[in-house]
Amino acid sequence: MADPTPTTTSAAPTDDPHGIRKDLDSPGQLVVVFLAVVGLALVNIFLSKSIGPTRYTLPLQLAIGSVQAGLVAYHFMHLKQGDRVVILTALSSLFWMGILFVLFLSDYMTRQYVIG
Amino acid sequence: MSASTHTPALKHHFEDLGQQHACERLGIWMFLATEILFFGGLFGAYTMYRLWYPHEFELASSHLNWKFATVNTVFLITSSLTMTLAIRSAKLGDRSALYRNLLLTAALATAFMVVKGFEYAQDFHERYVPGPLFAAEYDDATAAVRSMSYSQAEEYFKQNTQGEHPRHQNWAADLALRNKDGSPLMAADPGKVQLFLCFYYIMTGIHGIHILVGIGCILWVTWEAWRGTIPPENYSTVEIVSLYWHLVDAIWLFLMPLLYLAGIGYGGHH
Repeated sequence: MADPTPTTTSAAPTDDPHGIRKDLDSPGQLVVVFLAVVGLALVNIFLSKSIGPTRYTLPLQLAIGSVQAGLVAYHFMHLKQGDRVVILTALSSLFWMGILFVLFLSDYMTRQYVIG
Repeated sequence: MSASTHTPALKHHFEDLGQQHACERLGIWMFLATEILFFGGLFGAYTMYRLWYPHEFELASSHLNWKFATVNTVFLITSSLTMTLAIRSAKLGDRSALYRNLLLTAALATAFMVVKGFEYAQDFHERYVPGPLFAAEYDDATAAVRSMSYSQAEEYFKQNTQGEHPRHQNWAADLALRNKDGSPLMAADPGKVQLFLCFYYIMTGIHGIHILVGIGCILWVTWEAWRGTIPPENYSTVEIVSLYWHLVDAIWLFLMPLLYLAGIGYGGHH
Protein backbone atom coordinates (compact mmCIF):
# COMPACT_ATOMS: atom_id res chain seq x y z
CA MET A 1 0.00 0.00 0.00
CA ALA A 2 1.36 3.35 -0.94
CA ASP A 3 1.87 5.94 1.72
CA PRO A 4 -1.06 8.41 1.38
CA THR A 5 1.09 11.21 2.77
CA PRO A 6 2.43 13.30 -0.13
CA THR A 7 6.18 13.30 -0.27
CA THR A 8 6.35 16.55 -2.25
CA THR A 9 4.28 19.59 -1.67
CA SER A 10 2.73 21.67 -4.44
CA ALA A 11 1.34 24.18 -1.95
CA ALA A 12 2.76 27.66 -1.84
CA PRO A 13 5.37 28.38 0.83
CA THR A 14 4.02 29.62 4.12
CA ASP A 15 5.32 33.17 3.63
CA ASP A 16 3.50 33.31 0.25
CA PRO A 17 0.16 31.56 0.87
CA HIS A 18 -1.47 32.94 -2.29
CA GLY A 19 1.39 32.04 -4.62
CA ILE A 20 1.81 35.68 -5.63
CA ARG A 21 5.59 35.53 -5.89
CA LYS A 22 5.77 32.42 -8.05
CA ASP A 23 5.95 34.43 -11.29
CA LEU A 24 8.16 37.22 -10.04
CA ASP A 25 10.02 39.12 -12.78
CA SER A 26 13.79 39.16 -12.75
CA PRO A 27 14.96 42.82 -12.80
CA GLY A 28 17.99 41.82 -14.89
CA GLN A 29 15.80 40.24 -17.53
CA LEU A 30 13.51 43.29 -17.59
CA VAL A 31 16.50 45.58 -18.11
CA VAL A 32 17.72 43.39 -21.00
CA VAL A 33 14.29 43.61 -22.63
CA PHE A 34 14.24 47.38 -22.05
CA LEU A 35 17.66 47.78 -23.69
CA ALA A 36 16.56 45.62 -26.61
CA VAL A 37 13.42 47.74 -27.21
CA VAL A 38 15.37 51.03 -26.96
CA GLY A 39 18.12 49.60 -29.18
CA LEU A 40 15.60 48.54 -31.83
CA ALA A 41 14.08 52.06 -31.76
CA LEU A 42 17.51 53.54 -32.45
CA VAL A 43 18.20 50.94 -35.16
CA ASN A 44 14.88 51.87 -36.76
CA ILE A 45 15.83 55.56 -36.87
CA PHE A 46 19.36 54.85 -38.11
CA LEU A 47 18.18 52.51 -40.89
CA SER A 48 15.39 54.90 -41.92
CA LYS A 49 17.88 57.77 -42.19
CA SER A 50 20.39 55.62 -44.07
CA ILE A 51 18.13 54.18 -46.73
CA GLY A 52 15.55 57.00 -46.94
CA PRO A 53 11.97 56.42 -48.11
CA THR A 54 12.08 53.49 -50.51
CA ARG A 55 9.42 50.85 -51.15
CA TYR A 56 11.13 48.62 -48.56
CA THR A 57 11.48 51.24 -45.84
CA LEU A 58 7.93 51.08 -44.45
CA PRO A 59 7.78 47.25 -44.22
CA LEU A 60 11.20 47.29 -42.54
CA GLN A 61 10.12 49.99 -40.07
CA LEU A 62 6.89 48.15 -39.25
CA ALA A 63 8.75 44.83 -38.86
CA ILE A 64 11.07 46.44 -36.30
CA GLY A 65 8.06 48.07 -34.58
CA SER A 66 6.32 44.68 -34.44
CA VAL A 67 9.34 43.03 -32.80
CA GLN A 68 9.44 45.88 -30.25
CA ALA A 69 5.71 45.57 -29.53
CA GLY A 70 6.10 41.78 -29.30
CA LEU A 71 8.84 42.15 -26.69
CA VAL A 72 6.67 44.60 -24.72
CA ALA A 73 3.65 42.27 -24.90
CA TYR A 74 5.56 39.09 -24.07
CA HIS A 75 7.72 40.37 -21.24
CA PHE A 76 6.24 43.61 -19.86
CA MET A 77 2.59 42.61 -20.38
CA HIS A 78 3.35 39.12 -19.07
CA LEU A 79 1.93 37.15 -21.99
CA LYS A 80 4.79 34.72 -21.35
CA GLN A 81 2.97 33.64 -18.19
CA GLY A 82 -0.56 34.48 -19.31
CA ASP A 83 -3.57 32.19 -19.08
CA ARG A 84 -4.67 30.62 -22.35
CA VAL A 85 -7.80 32.72 -22.43
CA VAL A 86 -5.74 35.93 -22.07
CA ILE A 87 -3.41 34.87 -24.90
CA LEU A 88 -6.49 34.01 -26.98
CA THR A 89 -7.93 37.49 -26.30
CA ALA A 90 -4.65 39.16 -27.26
CA LEU A 91 -4.34 37.15 -30.47
CA SER A 92 -8.02 37.61 -31.33
CA SER A 93 -7.56 41.40 -31.31
CA LEU A 94 -4.86 40.98 -33.97
CA PHE A 95 -7.10 38.56 -35.86
CA TRP A 96 -10.01 41.02 -35.93
CA MET A 97 -7.67 43.81 -36.98
CA GLY A 98 -6.44 41.55 -39.77
CA ILE A 99 -10.03 41.10 -40.96
CA LEU A 100 -10.50 44.88 -40.82
CA PHE A 101 -7.42 45.46 -42.98
CA VAL A 102 -8.18 42.67 -45.47
CA LEU A 103 -11.77 43.82 -46.03
CA PHE A 104 -11.14 47.51 -46.58
CA LEU A 105 -7.89 47.01 -48.52
CA SER A 106 -9.64 44.53 -50.81
CA ASP A 107 -12.20 47.24 -51.51
CA TYR A 108 -9.99 50.31 -51.94
CA MET A 109 -7.16 48.55 -53.77
CA THR A 110 -9.35 46.85 -56.37
CA ARG A 111 -11.65 49.73 -57.34
CA GLN A 112 -9.75 50.34 -60.57
CA TYR A 113 -10.63 46.80 -61.69
CA VAL A 114 -14.40 47.39 -61.62
CA ILE A 115 -15.88 46.45 -64.99
CA GLY A 116 -18.68 48.32 -66.64
CA MET B 1 -6.30 27.62 -3.13
CA SER B 2 -8.18 26.88 0.00
CA ALA B 3 -10.66 28.91 1.98
CA SER B 4 -8.14 29.03 4.79
CA THR B 5 -6.12 31.52 2.74
CA HIS B 6 -8.94 34.06 2.74
CA THR B 7 -7.81 37.67 2.55
CA PRO B 8 -9.64 41.02 2.62
CA ALA B 9 -8.40 41.57 -0.97
CA LEU B 10 -10.64 38.71 -2.14
CA LYS B 11 -14.00 39.87 -3.52
CA HIS B 12 -16.90 37.80 -2.24
CA HIS B 13 -17.97 36.46 -5.63
CA PHE B 14 -14.61 34.81 -6.38
CA GLU B 15 -13.51 31.47 -5.02
CA ASP B 16 -9.89 32.50 -4.51
CA LEU B 17 -7.36 35.16 -5.39
CA GLY B 18 -6.03 33.20 -8.37
CA GLN B 19 -9.48 33.21 -9.95
CA GLN B 20 -9.98 36.89 -9.10
CA HIS B 21 -6.65 37.94 -10.66
CA ALA B 22 -7.32 35.84 -13.76
CA CYS B 23 -10.73 37.53 -14.22
CA GLU B 24 -9.21 40.98 -13.75
CA ARG B 25 -6.52 40.27 -16.33
CA LEU B 26 -9.05 38.91 -18.80
CA GLY B 27 -11.27 41.96 -18.32
CA ILE B 28 -8.51 44.46 -19.02
CA TRP B 29 -7.27 42.43 -22.01
CA MET B 30 -10.77 42.53 -23.50
CA PHE B 31 -10.74 46.30 -23.09
CA LEU B 32 -7.27 46.42 -24.70
CA ALA B 33 -8.62 44.40 -27.64
CA THR B 34 -11.17 47.17 -28.28
CA GLU B 35 -8.39 49.76 -28.04
CA ILE B 36 -6.29 47.83 -30.56
CA LEU B 37 -9.25 47.79 -32.94
CA PHE B 38 -9.87 51.51 -32.34
CA PHE B 39 -6.28 52.38 -33.29
CA GLY B 40 -6.48 49.73 -36.03
CA GLY B 41 -9.12 51.85 -37.77
CA LEU B 42 -6.82 54.89 -37.66
CA PHE B 43 -3.84 52.87 -38.88
CA GLY B 44 -6.03 51.47 -41.65
CA ALA B 45 -7.12 54.90 -42.86
CA TYR B 46 -3.50 56.10 -42.72
CA THR B 47 -2.32 53.04 -44.70
CA MET B 48 -4.86 53.67 -47.43
CA TYR B 49 -3.99 57.32 -47.92
CA ARG B 50 -0.29 56.64 -47.70
CA LEU B 51 -0.64 54.06 -50.47
CA TRP B 52 -2.51 56.64 -52.56
CA TYR B 53 -0.27 59.65 -51.81
CA PRO B 54 3.15 58.27 -50.79
CA HIS B 55 5.07 61.29 -52.07
CA GLU B 56 3.10 63.92 -50.16
CA PHE B 57 3.05 61.83 -46.99
CA GLU B 58 6.84 61.38 -47.08
CA LEU B 59 7.37 65.06 -47.84
CA ALA B 60 5.05 66.17 -45.03
CA SER B 61 6.68 63.76 -42.58
CA SER B 62 10.15 65.05 -43.47
CA HIS B 63 9.24 68.43 -41.96
CA LEU B 64 8.26 66.96 -38.57
CA ASN B 65 10.76 66.98 -35.72
CA TRP B 66 11.88 63.35 -35.31
CA LYS B 67 14.31 64.31 -32.54
CA PHE B 68 11.43 65.22 -30.22
CA ALA B 69 9.81 61.88 -31.09
CA THR B 70 13.03 59.97 -30.37
CA VAL B 71 13.32 61.51 -26.91
CA ASN B 72 9.67 60.66 -26.28
CA THR B 73 10.21 57.07 -27.42
CA VAL B 74 12.95 56.65 -24.82
CA PHE B 75 10.70 58.22 -22.15
CA LEU B 76 7.85 55.82 -22.93
CA ILE B 77 9.94 52.66 -23.09
CA THR B 78 11.64 53.61 -19.81
CA SER B 79 8.24 54.21 -18.23
CA SER B 80 7.20 50.70 -19.31
CA LEU B 81 10.23 49.32 -17.47
CA THR B 82 9.48 51.26 -14.26
CA MET B 83 5.81 50.22 -14.45
CA THR B 84 6.78 46.54 -14.69
CA LEU B 85 9.18 46.99 -11.78
CA ALA B 86 6.26 48.50 -9.84
CA ILE B 87 4.33 45.21 -10.23
CA ARG B 88 7.36 43.36 -8.86
CA SER B 89 7.53 45.75 -5.89
CA ALA B 90 3.80 45.27 -5.24
CA LYS B 91 4.18 41.47 -5.27
CA LEU B 92 7.08 41.70 -2.83
CA GLY B 93 5.18 44.08 -0.58
CA ASP B 94 7.97 46.66 -0.91
CA ARG B 95 5.90 49.82 -0.48
CA SER B 96 8.69 52.36 -0.88
CA ALA B 97 9.91 50.74 -4.13
CA LEU B 98 6.31 50.53 -5.38
CA TYR B 99 5.75 54.17 -4.59
CA ARG B 100 9.06 55.17 -6.21
CA ASN B 101 8.48 53.16 -9.40
CA LEU B 102 4.95 54.48 -9.83
CA LEU B 103 6.07 58.08 -9.32
CA LEU B 104 8.91 57.56 -11.80
CA THR B 105 6.45 56.20 -14.35
CA ALA B 106 4.12 59.18 -13.85
CA ALA B 107 7.10 61.57 -14.15
CA LEU B 108 8.27 59.98 -17.41
CA ALA B 109 4.73 60.11 -18.78
CA THR B 110 4.50 63.78 -17.84
CA ALA B 111 7.87 64.42 -19.49
CA PHE B 112 6.47 62.82 -22.64
CA MET B 113 3.55 65.25 -22.63
CA VAL B 114 5.84 68.22 -21.96
CA VAL B 115 8.01 67.31 -24.96
CA LYS B 116 4.84 66.80 -27.00
CA GLY B 117 3.72 70.26 -25.92
CA PHE B 118 7.00 71.78 -27.13
CA GLU B 119 6.62 69.90 -30.39
CA TYR B 120 3.07 71.13 -30.97
CA ALA B 121 4.18 74.66 -30.03
CA GLN B 122 6.94 74.50 -32.64
CA ASP B 123 4.51 73.18 -35.26
CA PHE B 124 2.05 76.00 -34.53
CA HIS B 125 4.85 78.57 -34.53
CA GLU B 126 5.86 77.31 -37.98
CA ARG B 127 2.19 77.30 -39.02
CA TYR B 128 2.52 73.63 -39.89
CA VAL B 129 -1.14 73.07 -39.08
CA PRO B 130 -3.81 72.08 -41.61
CA GLY B 131 -6.30 74.84 -42.41
CA PRO B 132 -6.04 78.63 -42.65
CA LEU B 133 -2.58 78.88 -41.03
CA PHE B 134 -1.10 76.42 -43.52
CA ALA B 135 -2.86 78.03 -46.49
CA ALA B 136 -1.75 81.56 -45.54
CA GLU B 137 1.89 80.52 -45.10
CA TYR B 138 1.97 78.52 -48.32
CA ASP B 139 0.22 81.25 -50.34
CA ASP B 140 2.65 83.84 -48.98
CA ALA B 141 5.67 81.76 -50.04
CA THR B 142 4.19 81.06 -53.47
CA ALA B 143 3.31 84.72 -54.09
CA ALA B 144 6.79 85.90 -53.06
CA VAL B 145 8.51 83.93 -55.83
CA ARG B 146 5.81 84.09 -58.49
CA SER B 147 7.72 86.41 -60.83
CA MET B 148 11.14 84.81 -60.19
CA SER B 149 12.91 82.04 -62.08
CA TYR B 150 13.45 78.76 -60.26
CA SER B 151 17.09 79.51 -59.42
CA GLN B 152 16.18 83.02 -58.20
CA ALA B 153 13.42 81.53 -56.04
CA GLU B 154 15.85 78.99 -54.63
CA GLU B 155 18.30 81.77 -53.69
CA TYR B 156 15.49 83.89 -52.24
CA PHE B 157 14.31 81.09 -49.96
CA LYS B 158 17.89 80.33 -48.86
CA GLN B 159 18.09 83.88 -47.53
CA ASN B 160 14.57 84.11 -46.14
CA THR B 161 14.19 80.84 -44.23
CA GLN B 162 17.07 81.46 -41.80
CA GLY B 163 17.16 83.00 -38.33
CA GLU B 164 14.79 83.05 -35.40
CA HIS B 165 12.03 84.91 -37.23
CA PRO B 166 12.37 83.86 -40.86
CA ARG B 167 10.27 85.51 -43.54
CA HIS B 168 9.14 82.05 -44.71
CA GLN B 169 9.01 78.64 -43.05
CA ASN B 170 11.16 75.82 -44.45
CA TRP B 171 8.21 73.62 -45.26
CA ALA B 172 6.41 76.41 -47.17
CA ALA B 173 9.57 77.26 -49.12
CA ASP B 174 10.09 73.58 -49.95
CA LEU B 175 6.50 73.21 -51.14
CA ALA B 176 6.51 76.48 -53.12
CA LEU B 177 9.78 75.50 -54.87
CA ARG B 178 8.46 72.05 -55.74
CA ASN B 179 5.32 73.47 -57.29
CA LYS B 180 7.13 76.19 -59.28
CA ASP B 181 7.38 75.86 -63.04
CA GLY B 182 10.69 74.33 -64.10
CA SER B 183 11.36 72.78 -60.71
CA PRO B 184 13.60 69.68 -60.84
CA LEU B 185 11.84 68.46 -57.70
CA MET B 186 8.68 66.38 -57.70
CA ALA B 187 5.58 68.59 -57.33
CA ALA B 188 3.43 68.04 -54.23
CA ASP B 189 -0.26 68.76 -53.67
CA PRO B 190 -0.60 71.06 -50.59
CA GLY B 191 -4.02 69.52 -49.87
CA LYS B 192 -2.50 66.06 -49.53
CA VAL B 193 0.27 67.40 -47.33
CA GLN B 194 -2.45 68.80 -45.07
CA LEU B 195 -4.15 65.41 -45.13
CA PHE B 196 -1.00 63.89 -43.64
CA LEU B 197 -0.98 66.64 -41.02
CA CYS B 198 -4.60 65.78 -40.13
CA PHE B 199 -3.49 62.19 -39.47
CA TYR B 200 -0.50 63.46 -37.51
CA TYR B 201 -2.56 65.66 -35.19
CA ILE B 202 -5.45 63.21 -34.79
CA MET B 203 -3.26 60.17 -34.11
CA THR B 204 -0.80 61.90 -31.78
CA GLY B 205 -3.69 63.80 -30.15
CA ILE B 206 -5.67 60.63 -29.39
CA HIS B 207 -2.50 58.94 -28.21
CA GLY B 208 -1.80 61.98 -26.00
CA ILE B 209 -5.28 61.70 -24.47
CA HIS B 210 -4.49 58.06 -23.67
CA ILE B 211 -1.25 59.19 -22.03
CA LEU B 212 -3.18 61.70 -19.88
CA VAL B 213 -5.67 59.00 -18.84
CA GLY B 214 -2.70 56.76 -18.04
CA ILE B 215 -1.10 59.45 -15.88
CA GLY B 216 -4.39 59.81 -14.01
CA CYS B 217 -4.60 56.03 -13.41
CA ILE B 218 -0.95 55.80 -12.32
CA LEU B 219 -1.40 58.70 -9.87
CA TRP B 220 -4.53 57.01 -8.49
CA VAL B 221 -2.60 53.75 -7.92
CA THR B 222 0.22 55.78 -6.35
CA TRP B 223 -2.32 57.35 -3.98
CA GLU B 224 -3.69 53.91 -3.12
CA ALA B 225 -0.17 52.61 -2.53
CA TRP B 226 0.56 55.56 -0.26
CA ARG B 227 -2.63 54.81 1.68
CA GLY B 228 -1.42 51.24 2.06
CA THR B 229 -4.39 49.67 0.27
CA ILE B 230 -2.22 47.66 -2.14
CA PRO B 231 -0.91 44.68 -0.20
CA PRO B 232 0.84 41.92 -2.18
CA GLU B 233 -2.51 40.08 -2.57
CA ASN B 234 -3.85 43.14 -4.37
CA TYR B 235 -0.91 43.54 -6.80
CA SER B 236 -3.27 43.07 -9.74
CA THR B 237 -4.46 46.68 -9.28
CA VAL B 238 -0.97 47.76 -10.38
CA GLU B 239 -0.86 45.11 -13.09
CA ILE B 240 -4.15 46.24 -14.65
CA VAL B 241 -2.96 49.84 -14.94
CA SER B 242 0.38 48.59 -16.25
CA LEU B 243 -1.29 46.58 -19.03
CA TYR B 244 -3.08 49.72 -20.22
CA TRP B 245 0.17 51.66 -19.98
CA HIS B 246 2.17 49.12 -22.00
CA LEU B 247 -0.45 49.18 -24.75
CA VAL B 248 -0.13 52.97 -24.98
CA ASP B 249 3.63 52.45 -25.23
CA ALA B 250 3.25 49.74 -27.90
CA ILE B 251 0.98 51.97 -30.01
CA TRP B 252 3.63 54.70 -29.93
CA LEU B 253 6.16 52.19 -31.29
CA PHE B 254 4.04 52.15 -34.48
CA LEU B 255 3.17 55.86 -34.52
CA MET B 256 6.86 56.73 -34.49
CA PRO B 257 7.75 55.08 -37.84
CA LEU B 258 4.41 55.90 -39.50
CA LEU B 259 4.48 59.62 -38.70
CA TYR B 260 8.06 60.67 -37.95
CA LEU B 261 10.21 58.20 -39.89
CA ALA B 262 8.04 58.13 -43.03
CA GLY B 263 9.96 60.98 -44.62
CA ILE B 264 13.28 60.86 -42.80
CA GLY B 265 16.10 61.14 -45.36
CA TYR B 266 13.60 62.32 -47.94
CA GLY B 267 14.89 63.85 -51.20
CA GLY B 268 11.85 63.85 -53.43
CA HIS B 269 13.62 64.28 -56.79
CA HIS B 270 11.99 63.21 -59.99
